[in-house]
This record gives sequence, structure tokens and C-alpha cells, in this order.
Amino acid sequence: MKQLTSLLFTVCIFSYVQSAINLPEEDVGNGRYSIEGKVFPPEEQDLGPWQVDTRIHVNGGEYIGFIRDDGSFVIHNVPSGSYVVEILHPDYIYEPIRVEINSKGKYRARKVNYIQTSQVIQVPYPLRLKALSKFRYFQVREQWRLTDFLFNPMVIMMVLPLLFIMILPKMMNDPETKEDLKQISNLAKMSEMPEMSEMFTSLFSGGAAAKASSTSKAKQIKKRQ
Amino acid sequence: MGLLSIYFKPNFLGLLKCLNNLNWFIVFFSLINLSVCIYEDQIGKFDWRQTYVGRIKYSQFDTVSTAKKIIVATEENVLAALNLKTGQVVWRHVFESASAGNIQLLHVSDKVVTVTGSNPYLVRGWDSSTGVLIWEWSLTLQNDDQADFSEWWVQNNMLVHMLPMFGSHIEVSMYHLMTGQNRGATAKLPASWTNDGCVLAPPYYTCVSGEMKSQQLLSLDVTSNAVQLISRPLAEFVDLNSYDGSLRPVDGNSGLPAFIVDDKRIVMIKHNEFEVLKTAVFDPTGSVTLLDIANGPVVLQAWLDDTQGFSIQANSVSGAELPELRMADRDLKLPDPEISSAVCTKSAREQLVCRILVTGGDDSVHLMQQGGRVLWSREEALANVVAVEFVELPVSDLDAAIESEFDQKEAAKMYSSIWAAFSRRLQTQFQQLQTLVNSVQGEGAAQHQPLALVRDYFGLHKLIVLITDVGKIFGMDNLSGAILWQYYEPSLDTEGAVVFTRRTARHPPHDAYITIVGKHEETGNGLIISLNPITGTLIGERLLKLDVQLLQCTILHRPDNEKLHALILLDKDENVQVFPQSAAPLVENMFMYVADRSTARVQGYAIVYNGQSAIAVRTWLVRLGGGSQRIVLVQGKSATERVHSPGRVLPDRAVLYKYLNPNLVLVLTEGPDPLHKDVVVATCLDAASGAIVASQIHRRARALPLAVHSENYLAYLYYNDKHRRTEIATMELYEGKQRWTQAGAAFSSLATERAPGVERQAFIVPAAPAAAALTATERSLTDKHVLLALTSGAIVEVPWIYLEARRGGISEEGVVLPAYAPELPLPGDARLNYNLTVARPERIYAAPSGLESTSLVLTTGLDLFYTRVAPSKTFDVLKDDFDYYLITIVLAGLILATYSTKYFASRKMLKLAWK
Repeated sequence: MKQLTSLLFTVCIFSYVQSAINLPEEDVGNGRYSIEGKVFPPEEQDLGPWQVDTRIHVNGGEYIGFIRDDGSFVIHNVPSGSYVVEILHPDYIYEPIRVEINSKGKYRARKVNYIQTSQVIQVPYPLRLKALSKFRYFQVREQWRLTDFLFNPMVIMMVLPLLFIMILPKMMNDPETKEDLKQISNLAKMSEMPEMSEMFTSLFSGGAAAKASSTSKAKQIKKRQ
Repeated sequence: MGLLSIYFKPNFLGLLKCLNNLNWFIVFFSLINLSVCIYEDQIGKFDWRQTYVGRIKYSQFDTVSTAKKIIVATEENVLAALNLKTGQVVWRHVFESASAGNIQLLHVSDKVVTVTGSNPYLVRGWDSSTGVLIWEWSLTLQNDDQADFSEWWVQNNMLVHMLPMFGSHIEVSMYHLMTGQNRGATAKLPASWTNDGCVLAPPYYTCVSGEMKSQQLLSLDVTSNAVQLISRPLAEFVDLNSYDGSLRPVDGNSGLPAFIVDDKRIVMIKHNEFEVLKTAVFDPTGSVTLLDIANGPVVLQAWLDDTQGFSIQANSVSGAELPELRMADRDLKLPDPEISSAVCTKSAREQLVCRILVTGGDDSVHLMQQGGRVLWSREEALANVVAVEFVELPVSDLDAAIESEFDQKEAAKMYSSIWAAFSRRLQTQFQQLQTLVNSVQGEGAAQHQPLALVRDYFGLHKLIVLITDVGKIFGMDNLSGAILWQYYEPSLDTEGAVVFTRRTARHPPHDAYITIVGKHEETGNGLIISLNPITGTLIGERLLKLDVQLLQCTILHRPDNEKLHALILLDKDENVQVFPQSAAPLVENMFMYVADRSTARVQGYAIVYNGQSAIAVRTWLVRLGGGSQRIVLVQGKSATERVHSPGRVLPDRAVLYKYLNPNLVLVLTEGPDPLHKDVVVATCLDAASGAIVASQIHRRARALPLAVHSENYLAYLYYNDKHRRTEIATMELYEGKQRWTQAGAAFSSLATERAPGVERQAFIVPAAPAAAALTATERSLTDKHVLLALTSGAIVEVPWIYLEARRGGISEEGVVLPAYAPELPLPGDARLNYNLTVARPERIYAAPSGLESTSLVLTTGLDLFYTRVAPSKTFDVLKDDFDYYLITIVLAGLILATYSTKYFASRKMLKLAWK
């Protein structure tokens, strides 16, 4: 157990050290740097001047950049440090990028991960940013579709009995099917149901025996249940 | 049959159980589906946005491009193009709000050129028609101390930067406008005569220098190769005995070098000589500009005349007046007018066509044409709203009459006999009928008229009172966003101003009553403005200038005979003032606290009535953080808040009672720490007793002035320096499974000796929030959602269930709360303002409507955005897209079918009978 705790301890220290390494130099150097990149317009080109609607916020508006006609942008006079670069467009989502500039002026761009802040997934610098997708701001109205209506269980429940009521009598009128049906019913009668007259005759002739059989039958049914 | 039931019974129970489980699932899924966003066809149905640019600093007409525009640069660090015909924003760029975004120069030729920042500077060129950036270069000055006195202008496609070193020399540098290449090094012109009273009229730099009574007026063209100093004794221009040393440049940007000496004489520099214009300055507070029209330069002056109102007059250089440019508007009360820019062209018929952009001291902008007609106006004061109050509208006269009829006291007074009451009833009934007929008749005609200022059935129509930084107060219709009235008080300093609704419009015949407590601009003493919010007229105390500074103010919770809540002020000498004074005996159980921002010292007072007047008694004192901390934010609960349920039902049917202390205040402090750099401390303080109820420390963090506080929970935001992310911490306070007091008993801060249990949790906000608020409804039956305004311009609605400290557990009715996830989801459909970006949001205000489900939300900042939200969906009204036609058609069809089948059935019966 002790070993385990010590192991855990070392792991903790290790992760702490790693995260400490990943932190940039905190003291702000005198040097001023600029963050460069290029924004690619969304696929649809009917946006008009998308360059005007697109803004670049660094650290939530601490520095603001604007993009040129070709989509390139430069954010000037940034001291060394760690910055989150966001591309803001009212209709399209762009992924934010964290840009780190160390005191020697070396750049590193990586994906923003707020949960595992020490995890580094590098992305190329100067930044190249593409729109991920369009923002989904609105609920989609449910549209009336015939299939939805037909496969509604209520409708099916209503329509199926209707079918039986309407179509079965029609089928009865057809002579061939009538024949078939008759045969089927005859067959059924012969196999299962004893003839009514037969029943009565047996009832009056040998009542006791029949009774016994019928009760046994009932018992059987009970058992089955 | 019995056997059958026996056979089925266990399964049936099982089925029931299954259904029961399903029920939970249904509840659960309904919770999961927390998206409350609107449909695409509802755009603009409940919301509106107004875009502003701020008080205009520089402006210039863009006459080059085809679509006529005015390019403006503002004090709010905004560059925008306004449509010349309508005044609407064509394009707009919002720079940094800090000094890095300060606009130093605006120059419009075929391109728009701006210089922003304060060492380092950024020079940018913009396309004037689309607003797209064309070029951009940075400029850093070596000499940082004097950089604030820099002057910039554009000359011959070169950017000129001038840096005066007072008393020694002037440094002049010229840069290529597009690339920033320095043409030749910086020139140093010896100028020992410069001082901080000098003015620039490009390219001349003019000063008054020399011994008293023998001053010289000196001027230098700083861009010419040969140094030619123009020097004349000042006595030639003004009387030296009355001269107070003022020298100011003319307004506007005509390009003509001219300045005003001693607010009296206008001096122009022509051919390297001073030329005093024959036209004197009419009004020392007025605005003077020079305008270059075809016949030569014209002096244009605008001022506010006491008798004639706003006036503009134009004179040529020789002194002759141009009558076609003379204008006077008695109705236009434009305080401290300033001609921002003006342009005049000759039309085909040799007539002057002028456009004059005038900015007032109240930040309003008006575009005028010759003759004095105002083409459009913009109220740029609304770009800087400091306080907002939602005000209920009065009921219509008819409803008021009906209400008074059924009011018992009123009725007893008015109707002695039953017949009088009966006749009155008939009368009101007839009136109702009349209005109904009128409304049916006038439906088509009334479409374009603004809605009458009366309360609607659901209480969704309200009036918003906005207090702006410049001291202008607006009344705004919440449904349309139209300005109904405005009131300008130049001496009002609105820093920390508060608004109180002291009487709602529910008490006819008394008018609604709101009071704004602010400071006097110059003295810092208290300044109280009382208004009728429906009409915008002063009532009650009217404009009251106190002779003492204020510490704290509140309103009495109990109204007096006239249903007016008294205003209680605590001044610097710890004296209490009550307005109206007659309400002083009503003071009872009043507590106040005063927090000092820099020392984090919180002093509590009890306000007691001693028989003659109300006095303040010091009761408690808390020093938060031991002196090294400073207060970032103090967040109490809303005074009008109601709590619907006193506890939460747990799955085991026990009740977890909420700690509902109405005096609880959240104090956020931050300060340095020897070990953890900065720490943020959140303290829950009982404002009546001074007891500390709960607290929480966040190490290596910086506080943000954002918090929400309601019922038994609160949330605040801070920036985690270690992980470089914004986090939101939530706290929920519970009394436990037993009640501390009897049900229905009032909470007493002074009689509790137990500490509540605190549930805590923190979440990551994957964005940069700028404002936070909670939705508010009338009875708090509806869920509360947190509204966050992000710096990106989005307003996001976060259900409280995601911020719940007990997240991951099981809440009432066995509903599973969402499992704990460190990052808050901020999906696109949670954005209230869809793609209507709100620039630089600052505050969010939420107010209840008459509908329990709906809360009205206003976001202020550079833009205004209003919408309404329904956190638990609109459960109390039919959806606005309810298909009335479908249900009518179905009903009609059914009725038709019933009767037709009846008819056919009878016929069939008849036929059968005949067979």
C-alpha cells in the first residue's frame, strides 16, 4: 500500500513537473511579436464580404485582428506569452488555437484543450484556419410528411380494421374465394368442432359417457392454463 | 375469467412497473432536451438589436465612392461607415476597448486610414466601400514618455507624425502611408517656444509664448524643408488684459489651417501669414469650423442660443453672411453642439447643397442639411448604458375604471344606492363593447401606429428605462425598441448610479415613480432624479441636488399611504435621510452595509427610528482578507425575488431544505499571496448580522466581476491562471433535512446559530464571459437559467442543471442529473442572439413578465439586444405557431360529417322501412 501511495506521489510530481515545463515564461519580455495566419472562407461563397464579418480575438478581445482580402491576418505588438486565438464569424465555427510565444521569440501553436491543459497537439504555425461547420442556431420545424402520417400507430390501428371491414365482405362476393373459404371452414369444422346434430344425438343417447369426456377436456384446458 | 386475471396479474404489474420506468425516462428525456432555441422563422419576432458606435471623435464624408457614406471614428474605439441617407451602420470595426484601440487619426481619401493605439501604434488602411482591411503596419516610438502628445496627419500620401518636446524641439517623421517606410530620418526642429498649450492646425504648429503682457503668437510649418517661423505679437489679435491663454483649433477637418484665439478671434494661416477673419466667434461655447466651398473658405458656427434654440450661421472670410446656410431650430435642444464635419457642394442649379454632422453634448448625432432640416439622428449615448430598469405599464383607462368599480373601498364611497352601481355597470359594459367595435374596425389602420402604452394581457409589454454614462435617461418600448422619451441632465455623473422603482403603475390614480441616485459631476455630492417612467417627466422630489456625498442608498420595503416606497440615503457623515420625510416612522428592521473597494472593509449599519428621525447605528465590521485584498464584486439577491419551494425532494422522499437567507451577500475579493501569486476569495456574508456563512478560496486565480446569486445558490467566475482558463464556481446552501424554523416563519439573521451545509462545484467555461445574469420570473416556479454574454458577441443560456453543485447525483422525483463533466457545453442553439453578434457586451438585465414562463432579457454594451426567454418552455400559453386554421378546419369538418351522416342514416332508415 505504501509503495502504491509513493508511486502515486511520484506520478503526481511528474505530471506537475510536466505541466510546469509546458507553461511559458511568465515574465513578459520587452520584445513585441506578431501572430500571423490565414483564414479560409467557408465553402459557400455567397456570403458577400466575409472578411468584414470575421474578427480575430486574442484572449477574448485583449488584442483584435482584422483580415485582409485574401484571408491573411497579423496581430501586431503581442508580448511573449500564451494566447488563445479565436476566429469569430457570426455563421461559421472555427476552432480556437492556442499560440505560445516564448521569451526568445519562438512560436508554438497547439489545439486548445481546457481540460488537459498540459496536453500538446501541435498545429502548423503560421496558422491556417478553416471553418469547421455552420452554427446550428435554430430548431428544425417538424414537417408534415405522408410516411410519418401513415406509420403513425394510431392511424394504423384505425386503418387496418377499416380494411378488414371493407375488403373482407368484398372478397366474400368473389365466387372462387367463397368456395375456398367454405372449404376452409368445412375443414375446420370437420377437424375441430363436432357437428351440432351429432352433439345433440350423443347427448341424448349416452349422456354419462359424453359428460365424462367433456369434463376431462375442461380439465385439460385448465392444465394448459 | 378469474383464472385469466390470475394468469395475467404478475405480468400486468410488471407492465405497470415498466410503464412507470418509462415515465421516468420520459421525464429524463424531456430534461435532456434542454435546448430552448427558437425556430428559424421566429427571427426578429421576439428580439431586436440596435447597433451603436459611440460618441463621435472624428468624422469625414466619403464623397469618393458611389454609395455616399460618413466614416466615423468614435470615443468607443469604433470605426464605422454610416449611410448618408438613413444613418444606419454600413460596416463597423470594433477595436480593443483598452488604450490599444484608441483612434488617433481618421483620414478619408479614396481609402480610409486610421492610426490606433498608444505606442505602439498601428496604421491601417481600409476599403471605404466594403470595410475590408487593405494594409496594416506597426510603429513603435522610442520615446515613450512624451508619446501621448503625438500628433498625426496625412499629407501628400505621407503619414506625418509630430512629437513636440516642450521647451526644446519638435520631432517630425514622415512615413510612406501604405508601407510605413520612413522617408528620411526624423527631423528635429529647434523650438524652445513650445508648451502644452500649443495647437496643431496641419501643417502649422501654433503656440503662444513669451513673458506675460508681451506674448507672441508663433506658428511653424513643420513639414516644410525650410524652417519659417511666423511670429506676431499677440496684442495684435486680442486684448492682453482679458486674455486667459486659451488657444484652440477649429472643429471639423477642412484641411484649412486655422485656430481660435481666446474664444474670440478666428485666425487663419495663409501664405505663411496670419490672417484674422472679420467674423468673430458668436458664442464661446459654440463650435466653429472652416469649410471650403467653391467661392472660397466659409466659417460655419453652431451654438445653442437661449432664445432661438439651436442655430447655425455661415460667413465668408470677408464677413458676409451666407443666408442659405442660416438655420435656427427652437425645438432642437442640442446641448454643447459641435460640428463634427460638414460638406457643401454646388448643385446643377448653382445652389449650395450642404450636409452638416453635428454632435451634441448628450452624445446624439444629427445630420442636417441647409435650411436646418434634420435628415437623421442617432442616440449614441445608448452605446454606454450603466443602469436599466424594466417598468410595468399602467392599465388602460377602461380597465382602470372596471378595477375601481370592483374595488370595495372605492365602490362604497361612490355608489350609495344599488341603482347607481347598476347604471355604472351598464356604462362600462357599453364602453367595452365600443372599444371592441373600434378595435375590429381599426385593425387595418392601427397596424402602423405604435402600440398604446398600456399593459397587455400577458404583461409582456413593458417600458425600459436606460441610464447612460453621459447622463441621458431614455424610456424605451421593449417590444419595438423605439425611444419614447429622453431626459438629459448634464450634471449627472452616473458612475455607480442606481435606479429604484418606488411605485409601480398598479396604483391608480398615483403615477408610477422611479428614482435615479447618482453623483453630481463636479462636487461628487448626491444627485437624485425622480421621474414618471411612463412619460419621462419629473415628479416628486424632481431634481434634487444634495449637499453631501452618499455612501449607500436603498428603498424601504414597506410602502406609505400613497403606495410610495421611501428612499433611504446614508451619507458620508453617517446621517440618514428619508424621502419623503413623512415615511421616517415606517423605518423598521432596516440594515445596510458599506463596502470599501480598496481595503475590503465592510461596515454594517442598522437604520433605526428614534421617535424623531431615522438614525444609523454601526453594528458590525468585517475586514475581508486582512487588508491585502480588494473587493471585486458584491452581489446580493434581488429585492423582489420570491422563492417557490423551500426545499428539494430527495429520491428517498426526504426533503433537503434550502438555506434561504434574504440578507446573504456574496463578496468576491482578490489579492496577492506570497505562495500562490494571486488568490480569489468568495465570502458569503450575512449583511444584517455580519456573520460569515461560507467561503471559498481559489489559488492562482484572478477574479472576474461576474456573479449570480439567487435563492440558495450562487455562481461566480474567475480566471484560473494555472490552467489559463475561465472557470465558474457554484455554491448551494442547505439547512439540511430538518427545518430550522417553523414552516412559514420569516428568516431571521440574528436568531440563527447554525451554519448551513454547502455544496460546491466548479466548471470550465470554454469562452471569455463579459457579463452574467439569471433569468427572472414572477413567482420563480420556472427554472432559472444563467445567461452569459461572451466577448465573442454571443449571449448563451446555460440551464442551472448544468451548474448544479449536486450534479451527478439524483434530484427530486428521481430524475438523474447530468453526470459531472468538467467543461460546460455552450452549443450554438443555446445562443439567444443567433447570428446577431452583440459587440462588446457589458451587462445583462432580466426582468419577469406577466407570464410565469417568460423572462425579458436586455443586453447592453456597444449594442443593445432584447429578447425573451422561456427557461421551462412556454407552458402557460399556446405556442405562437399554434395552427388555428387546422383545428378550425378539423372541427368544422367533424361537425359537417356528423350532420351529413345523420341525414344519410335517416334516409337509409326510410328506405329500409319502405322495403
